[in-house]
Amino acid sequence: MTGLVLRRLLQTPFIVLAVYTITFLLAWALPGSAVVNDEGRAPPAEVLEAMEAQYNLDNPVVFYFDYLGNATGVKWLGSKFGLMSYPAGAPIFNFGPSMRHVDWTVNEIVGSTLPVSVALGLGAITIALIFGVGLGVVGALKPNSFADIATLIVALVGISLPSFLTGTALLLLFPVLLGIGRVGAWGSLGDMFLPAFTLSLPFAAYIARLTRMGMIDCLGADYIRTARAKGASEVRVVLKHALKNAFLPVLSYLGPAAAYAMTGSFVVEMVFNVPGIGQHFVDAVLNKDLFLIMGVVLIFATLLVVMNLVVDALYAWVDPRIKAV
Amino acid sequence: MDVRAKLAGQRILTPMLKLVAPLILLLSSIAAVLLTDSPAPPASYVVAERTDIFTLDPQRMEYNQDLRTCYAIYEGLARWDNDTFAILPAIAETWDVSEDRRTYTFHLRDDAKWSNGDPVRAHDFVYSWRRALMPDTAAAYSGMYFLIEGAENFFGWRSEQMAEYGKRGAGERTSEAAVALRRAAEAHFDETVGVRALDERTFEVRLVRPTSYFLDLCAFGPFYPVHPPTVEEWVSVDARSGRIEQRHDWTKPPLIVTNGPYVVARWRFKRDIRLERNPHYWQPEMVKSDSVEMRIIPNPGGAVLAYETGAVDWVEEVFVDYLPEMIEEQKQGERNNLIKTPNFGTYFWSFNCTEMLPDGRVNPFADARVRRAFAMCVNKKDIVEKVRRQGEPIADTLIPPGSIAGFDEGGSITGLAFDPAGGRALLGEAGWVDRDGDGIPENGDGEPFPMVELLYSTNSYHEDIALAMGAMWEEALGVRSRLAPKESKIYKDDLKKRNYMMARGGWYGDYGDPTTFLNIHRTGDGNNDRGYSDPHFDELLKRAEKAPDDSARMRLLEEAERYTTEETLPVLPLFSYVRYYMFDPETFTGISRHPRITQYLWELEKVK
Repeated sequence: MTGLVLRRLLQTPFIVLAVYTITFLLAWALPGSAVVNDEGRAPPAEVLEAMEAQYNLDNPVVFYFDYLGNATGVKWLGSKFGLMSYPAGAPIFNFGPSMRHVDWTVNEIVGSTLPVSVALGLGAITIALIFGVGLGVVGALKPNSFADIATLIVALVGISLPSFLTGTALLLLFPVLLGIGRVGAWGSLGDMFLPAFTLSLPFAAYIARLTRMGMIDCLGADYIRTARAKGASEVRVVLKHALKNAFLPVLSYLGPAAAYAMTGSFVVEMVFNVPGIGQHFVDAVLNKDLFLIMGVVLIFATLLVVMNLVVDALYAWVDPRIKAV
Repeated sequence: MDVRAKLAGQRILTPMLKLVAPLILLLSSIAAVLLTDSPAPPASYVVAERTDIFTLDPQRMEYNQDLRTCYAIYEGLARWDNDTFAILPAIAETWDVSEDRRTYTFHLRDDAKWSNGDPVRAHDFVYSWRRALMPDTAAAYSGMYFLIEGAENFFGWRSEQMAEYGKRGAGERTSEAAVALRRAAEAHFDETVGVRALDERTFEVRLVRPTSYFLDLCAFGPFYPVHPPTVEEWVSVDARSGRIEQRHDWTKPPLIVTNGPYVVARWRFKRDIRLERNPHYWQPEMVKSDSVEMRIIPNPGGAVLAYETGAVDWVEEVFVDYLPEMIEEQKQGERNNLIKTPNFGTYFWSFNCTEMLPDGRVNPFADARVRRAFAMCVNKKDIVEKVRRQGEPIADTLIPPGSIAGFDEGGSITGLAFDPAGGRALLGEAGWVDRDGDGIPENGDGEPFPMVELLYSTNSYHEDIALAMGAMWEEALGVRSRLAPKESKIYKDDLKKRNYMMARGGWYGDYGDPTTFLNIHRTGDGNNDRGYSDPHFDELLKRAEKAPDDSARMRLLEEAERYTTEETLPVLPLFSYVRYYMFDPETFTGISRHPRITQYLWELEKVK
């Protein structure tokens, strides 16, 4: 397992670098100016030139390496050995200023919004796990029974309905009609439940399908018959013997799912007014806010790679056969 | 314990633990995030804002929500009565105007203080106005300062000084040299620009020419002061380029120091901003509410729901697709919380006025008669009543009628009325006549009128308007049109490159003078997206600048407005913007209904 983790760790910088490079090329090619807003008053040409020069926006090559060095901490490290200059007091990983939100640095923006999205994403995955595994097991115990078909329908609905629809419906039902919870607020566990539930639906549906499939396979396997023959209780057979193996595909799905839930919550954040990072992923591109685009992409890419790594490690831990690989 | 029993226990426990471990991990990290959030007691009232404040640095402000916050936390030389837009004293208790009306001497009040207890001094204004005039600051409104003597020259001088510094050898560009460069620029400012602190409490401004709206500018946010020691702590000079770099850490509490009725107690990015009474404010009895919370709700429907459920007290702009239905409910008496105010702005479509399009085609709209013909064939009443359905007044002029005191008070500028027959005749006069009977007009060479491309930014209501206008032109003139929706960045780019025939546009006035609108038609103006250039029009504005008195000046500006809305039509005005607020008029008081949509948050109050 150590070998696996080590190998994957070594791959990580190259994957992130590739993502950074491709995104940089695309973002640089975006039309319009990276230093002024669309709808605002246009400052004089000298000011634009001065600003572009100040932030290296007049030279893509310099910008590419400069930003990479600042954002990854290479420049900070270099300055410790006296190899490079680095402003005193600047953070180790310096993602630069936001050109659109002039009072904020990308570090501040990410620092205040990423934890929110991480909490929301993890909450959604937790809910998805509880509901998905539960529904999957119920469905698998009596295939094609009423309960199975009912869970199938629930899963189908969960995976097909877009979250702006389910989110709006839930918003209208709970806070507006029933007076449960608050609209447009964020700060307590209660505020988190509706958005997390909305975000969890497609994941729950997929997990339910994975669990059901795995359980049906496992329940028909020889070792289950042996377990039953030994006189093991049904609960023990289902939860210990069958679920343990049926859970493996779910586990490998969890990594990308968790990363996606943390980074892809844009629509849910919009509907429930959650102050997360998802909207900046979209806004930054629309505004050509280069520092923010590159910063968010670097963080998202790292997050995704690390989540996959964590899941691979967990996988190896749960299923000892993987260790050999 | 018996070894076998222990092993059996492990066999059950370990796999269960392995399955449950990720779950425990997830739950504990969520708890950790939520525990770091500290709730504050409810504010006196809550405002729903569509977009976050961009900056709390007054010199860099340009957006409505930024300026509204500025008026709550800073105080300038003067302010308005925001119901009438008369000028009232603020930090300046009184002021004297010289005989030639070019020198203003402001006498600052001696009890005005910053929120850290420092007195507000005349020097603070010099510092702030100099900042606005440093090209390094990239202030959106530096151009407005150009009516001060020497200001425009200084702005150019500093740009050149930096460009020259950039050409020096690397060895000569040290931190010391860059700081010296900044000191030289500041000294040059003090010598050449007509802004002076005569003593701690006397501030003198000398203008290029008599300017009747100068005091209006003194009440405008970008002319408000900042606290120099606080700002200076985050300023450094870049040795490479000689540029003054300003970090904005100071705009966030607890660092921010302001001199207005409120101080910023909390500001969380794209989430909320909380204002509380400034303990050092000189006139505390004026401030109606103890605290204000502005909550950022970008989703328009979310803001309305937040109001309906009592989470916010005032929706600053209702922007939902179902607004026409809400307006209908209001008419039926089913609601009373939708409040319409006129706006200091006009929605229009721009004509590309240049001779050639960038792809080399001849531009038919270079001819003012064609532009007039197109304008006369648009039934604006239908667009407002059937397409928009939001109760906007139709506009035939660029400046909303009656919005500026002393300008066209008799209502003599009418613009062009809806007259399809007249429009067709005018198009014929310009040489476009249907010569081969196919319904499309041709020019003398037999070339048909080109397909008119209608440029607009996507995800917006402009498409409906473009479709409606296209149908009107086809019916009245036989001219066909095509929609050209573009992403907003590309739309903006196309506008600047004049890569369009007609494009959606709009303009909001900044200050109480006709030039705030008319300047966009000036040759070479940064906001002249139409490439309109007319010597007669430029001459009228120039003569207005030199007019002997206000009345003569207004008559010249009226002529400029009449000329561009009745004869040359660089833009086709459609309607004046309106804004719908949402609040309960019986329990929420103090909101001004003036078109300049300026609200002083300290005047607002939740009663009952």
